[in-house]
Amino acid sequence: MVTNEAPRAGAFRTLRARLLFWILVVAVPIYAGAIYLSYHATAGRLESDAISEADQLAARMAMSMDSVIRPIESGILTVAFQLEEVGPPRTEYMKRIRGILAAWPDIYGSTIAVEAPDAATGAFAPYLFRGRDGDIGYSDLAKESYNYRDLPWYRVAAERLQPVWSAPYFDAGGGETWMITYSVPFFRKSAQGKRELAGVVTADLDLGWVRRNAAAYPMESISMGWLYPALPEADFVAAVGDSADRMRQFDAQFDPASVRRVGEDMLRRDVTFAALPPAVSSKAGYLAIRNLSTTGWHLALVIPREQLLAEARQLLNRQIVLGVAGLLLLVMAVSLVAAGVTRPIRALAAAVGSADDDNLDIRLPERPGLDEVGVLTGALRRLRDSLQRHIQMRAGTLAAQARMDHELEVSAQIQQSMLPHGQSLRALPATVEVAVALQPARQVGGDLYDFFPLHDGKVLFAVGDVSDKGVPAALFMARLSALMRVLGASDHGPARLLQEINSRLAEGNNACMFVTVGCGLLDPHTGRFSYASAGHDAPILRRMEGGVSVMDTENGPAIGIEDTVTFEQREGVLAPGDTIILFTDGVTEAEAADGSLLGLDRLLALVDAAPEGAPQLLIGRIVEQVSSHAAGFQATDDMTAMAIRFLPAGVVPYSGPEGARWRIDVTPSSAGVAQAQSRLRGILHARGISDEKQHDVELVAEEWLTNVVRAGGSHPAGDVSVELTLQRDARIALTFRDFGPAFNPLAADAPDLDAPIDDRPIGGLGIHLVREVTDDCEYARVDDCNVLRVRFKGEPLHVADHRS
Amino acid sequence: MSLTIVLENSGFPTVLLSGRLDTHTAPELDKALNNLFATSGQISRLVFDLRELAYLSSAGIRCFVRARKTVEPGGGKVALVNPQPPVRKVLDIVKAMPPGGIFSSTAELDAYLDDMQKKVQSGED
Repeated sequence: MVTNEAPRAGAFRTLRARLLFWILVVAVPIYAGAIYLSYHATAGRLESDAISEADQLAARMAMSMDSVIRPIESGILTVAFQLEEVGPPRTEYMKRIRGILAAWPDIYGSTIAVEAPDAATGAFAPYLFRGRDGDIGYSDLAKESYNYRDLPWYRVAAERLQPVWSAPYFDAGGGETWMITYSVPFFRKSAQGKRELAGVVTADLDLGWVRRNAAAYPMESISMGWLYPALPEADFVAAVGDSADRMRQFDAQFDPASVRRVGEDMLRRDVTFAALPPAVSSKAGYLAIRNLSTTGWHLALVIPREQLLAEARQLLNRQIVLGVAGLLLLVMAVSLVAAGVTRPIRALAAAVGSADDDNLDIRLPERPGLDEVGVLTGALRRLRDSLQRHIQMRAGTLAAQARMDHELEVSAQIQQSMLPHGQSLRALPATVEVAVALQPARQVGGDLYDFFPLHDGKVLFAVGDVSDKGVPAALFMARLSALMRVLGASDHGPARLLQEINSRLAEGNNACMFVTVGCGLLDPHTGRFSYASAGHDAPILRRMEGGVSVMDTENGPAIGIEDTVTFEQREGVLAPGDTIILFTDGVTEAEAADGSLLGLDRLLALVDAAPEGAPQLLIGRIVEQVSSHAAGFQATDDMTAMAIRFLPAGVVPYSGPEGARWRIDVTPSSAGVAQAQSRLRGILHARGISDEKQHDVELVAEEWLTNVVRAGGSHPAGDVSVELTLQRDARIALTFRDFGPAFNPLAADAPDLDAPIDDRPIGGLGIHLVREVTDDCEYARVDDCNVLRVRFKGEPLHVADHRS
Repeated sequence: MSLTIVLENSGFPTVLLSGRLDTHTAPELDKALNNLFATSGQISRLVFDLRELAYLSSAGIRCFVRARKTVEPGGGKVALVNPQPPVRKVLDIVKAMPPGGIFSSTAELDAYLDDMQKKVQSGED
């Protein structure tokens, strides 16, 4: 059932959101992973590039420094060469020195020192240097106090006979400043033609120049650098660029001296670029160390890692920014795509979501497209149309069903009204009590009962069971009921009635329905009945004093099967207070949930156990038993039970300890006596007493009552009664009561039966008969009442038994 | 009707009784017999056919006794024929008839009558 639903609040309930979410869930990690991997690769690459660049930069820097110094070296070398080649006189030396100073402004001072055997002879070393104010200053190094030959700047070169840079020294007496000197020995040809040392040409660079030069160096991407002499004991450091400041920024504890040590160690290991050990610097950094090929000084460059990677990081940040921007674009794009893709679905959901139980007329998107959504739309359209058609059909069916139900109800009412009830009960003679219950299994059923008085006063009663149930059975039952009423009005006995009904129902019985019927005719005055059965369960007879039996009947075939058939009729008598019970197999075959049937035995026991034979009581008990046996189990068959009790006026049945008793009021007239006789006959016949015994009883009753009536004159009604007792000892007793004047016919003499006819008295014979026929008789006057008790010899009563 | 009275006048007057002869129905028989006696004059033999009679009580006996009292003084005889057992029983108890008055069948009566005829004829000789 389509109900009005919208996607619940919550971001992930819409298709679009889910699409977006899952695409991003997949794309973003891939994207981020790619960025990450790219970053790492790039960073690594960039780092190594930066490192090598730094390394090369160090090399370049060293080279460029060298390129400043090298010309000085080559200049001095040239001079030395010239001195050797040309061999100018000493007077020329000054000119040369001046020339050096002029050619290379960086040189602080220069001298050409002559090799002399000793300090005193031939020492010659003019020294020119730049003064502070820019003019040239002169100093003669050949002074005695300045034994230049022992000074390192001369001696080392003289000994090595190679150009050499000196370690830093303070030139006291010469330049009066810290300097380094490039000493180049020059030679001359000796007299013997051997090449011998002539002297040393020098160029001085003051360390201040070195410092200045280094400081002026553009740092570019290098962070910090220092220039220092190779000899560790020469404690001189020139900071490159503004390394001093940068150093403070880099690491407060940073110490160039330790860097120098590390650098020298690296050089020893022939490593030009390495990471700074953590002991030297708390911040990660690299050290590039280079040897100046000219002076042999070391150039140490420190590059903090951060700086090294600064570019890489920049690149990475750019990448991240681009990546995020790209991701956002991706999100937007995916969102738009998701929206676009899901639009038709959303439209469909919106259209369909509005449907509910009452409103199935949903609007579907007009142009569904060719994709799955289009397929869905088309299917929904067909479904909607089909459902609407179905609902209409169903409404039609329900309407038809409602009409059918209504008709069934009406039929049930009609059927109910066809069966005799309240009013019909009142139409019955007062001597006949009837109670009946009918429960169809469905609304209308195939069970039938009927009872109605005929014109001659007899009561026709019947119970029937049509072979089916529901509407077909009810229709058949209606026919039967009508036939029974019409044909029953004629003077047929039950057997003939059934025969007539059968011949009419059997013709044209195409549906092959049949009905079992038990039908009887009861004389409401005498209790005599006749009964015939067409395949029906035999009725139960309940005696007034208790005891049940199944009526023995000859069963004919069920009605409707054979065209012509005859039925046996059985005659019987009900004693006053006796009840006859008819039923259909819906009673005996009532099924419990466990499959057990109620059964005839249980029904008999139920009727037997009832305290008295009142029809209402019996029927009520039967209905109760059936329903409690079935205990809510669906009734599969119609159920009918009818009880008829014969209770004529003027007779009081009573069941006591001494046996069954009927007290009959006698109207004090010969007609009344005859009626009393008839009543007695009926009771005795009903109880199966022999004809002979019946005759005796009847005779005694007639004789005595006639006497009573004759002797008593006028008796008010109710004064005379005869009570018949069927004793438990199988003897029959009669008790006559009358409230007339005391009169004991027994007291009279017995008649003379042998007297000649003329002398024979007319009277007295009756009493004689009474005495002769009975076993004992006695008269008593009790409280203004004549009471005569007589008893007859015993005779086994017809014992009530159950038909097995 | 519980008593039916049919009068046959072939030979001897025969009263065919069927049903019950009791206090209630006896007056009818009385009336019929009175008519018979009134119209028949002297009756030598009166036959009651009881084959259809189912019941007899003292009132009916009285009818027979009265019939006897009427017929016998004139030399006539009353015969009861074909009594059913209950009727026979009652007749015996009250000794309603003299010996030889009750015949269990018509043949017996005929035989008796033949006998009597012979006796009379031989007596007259």
